[in-house]
Amino acid sequence: MNLVQDLCRQLDQMVNDQFDSVEFKAFLGVPLTMERGRFYVVQNALYTSNRRDCWGYVQGGAPLEVKRVIWQHESDELINDPRAGMDHFNLTVKQGEVIGLKREDFDNAQVPAMVQACFHAWHHIAMRGHWLTSYAASHMLERRNNGKIVKGGGMSFRVGKKFENELGINLKRMISLDVHVVADTEHSENISEMFEKYIKTPEDCERVLEGARESMAIDRAYRGALGFYMERIN
Amino acid sequence: MGAGSNGLDKMWKELVRMCNEQFESEPFKCLLNAKFTKLRAQHYSIQMAYYVQNRRDCWGYVQGSAPLPVKQIIWRHEEDELIGQKAQGKVDHITLAVKEGEVFGLTADAFEKTARMEGGEVCFSAWIRLSQKSWLEAIAASAILEMRNSAELIPGGSLSQRIGMIFERDLIIPMKKQINNSEHVVMDVEHAHLLMQVAKQYATTASAQEAILGGARESLMIDRIYRGHLADLMASLD
Repeated sequence: MNLVQDLCRQLDQMVNDQFDSVEFKAFLGVPLTMERGRFYVVQNALYTSNRRDCWGYVQGGAPLEVKRVIWQHESDELINDPRAGMDHFNLTVKQGEVIGLKREDFDNAQVPAMVQACFHAWHHIAMRGHWLTSYAASHMLERRNNGKIVKGGGMSFRVGKKFENELGINLKRMISLDVHVVADTEHSENISEMFEKYIKTPEDCERVLEGARESMAIDRAYRGALGFYMERIN
Repeated sequence: MGAGSNGLDKMWKELVRMCNEQFESEPFKCLLNAKFTKLRAQHYSIQMAYYVQNRRDCWGYVQGSAPLPVKQIIWRHEEDELIGQKAQGKVDHITLAVKEGEVFGLTADAFEKTARMEGGEVCFSAWIRLSQKSWLEAIAASAILEMRNSAELIPGGSLSQRIGMIFERDLIIPMKKQINNSEHVVMDVEHAHLLMQVAKQYATTASAQEAILGGARESLMIDRIYRGHLADLMASLD
């Protein structure tokens, strides 16, 4: 097995392991009510904004060719995803209408303390790490959403199914979750291609793994925090 | 480009004044008074390609920290720079810089194999550090370099324009053959408005305007140091 194949195998194992963590189990185990669903959708919009921050920072630190790949990636996210006919933030806001949310619910949303800490931690890796570390940290969150890699489905798929099973809202109506089931599969594959070109040594692998490990740790803390707050909503 | 109330007009005038003042500084005078030989033009061209790459680093960081609507503006700005306008047959600005190098007898290989000058490396690090400060300082630091390159704001001609005229004078290379310089003469007039577009919405307080002025001031200081290093490099190539 070559260096990149072995690396990808480790990354795949890590994203699958996320779903066995206590934090993910706790988050996915919280029964959804409409209020909890609303909280999740608003928080997910803030998460999407944080992703835009981080990918910008990663673009800043990456080599030119990788900058271009990230710029294309951000086209869907920031400007217009042809799958949805709008950018991903507006997609989340539109999805909110299905569960009775308005634009101002997103504009006035507060970031809870534990979530804030996670957002800052992701910023820190994106801005301060070696570019391979930063790149891997952001990439892993899309890999963890890739249903071709995660057995049982990525995070968007699983949350979408919870809305379907527990609130009776068909996944197709949860347009942002539905788009991300596909979009993050494509995004994680496009971004992953760059590993083939830039991973040449065991040190390069270690940089990627460092970013992956740190980002997955923050992701567990983030999901644990969401579960914690959702449980307290009656 | 008057913005009227809230001190924006005053801020804008100060930014334009600062850009014009760059050309009165010793390093700028030194660079712009140099006689360009073919060898000097080659090295200038290569170092400027590195400068363009550093701009891409900095704009990425600025995009990261800016609010969502500003991220979208920067993303579109970076399309010209990083990707080009394929529908209009326009290539990205790095490719353009390398392509322009052909008129000075450079190959793509020369761009890859020539190292960044040491002084340039230090300035690039300083600009990156600046691009990671608060987003208003950061955006001003990057946008001011395009204002300094806007012929609309610099009556005596923008930097790209002045360098282009020197190449025309010393090397008999017409401006239209300097595809990178001539593109920037046009593009940076348009890009120079980005800062005011953003400031109108986000810099309506004195402290926000001070952040913009501070970022711009620091960036222009680095710019002077950078041009000074370029002038020294030119002088060393006899």
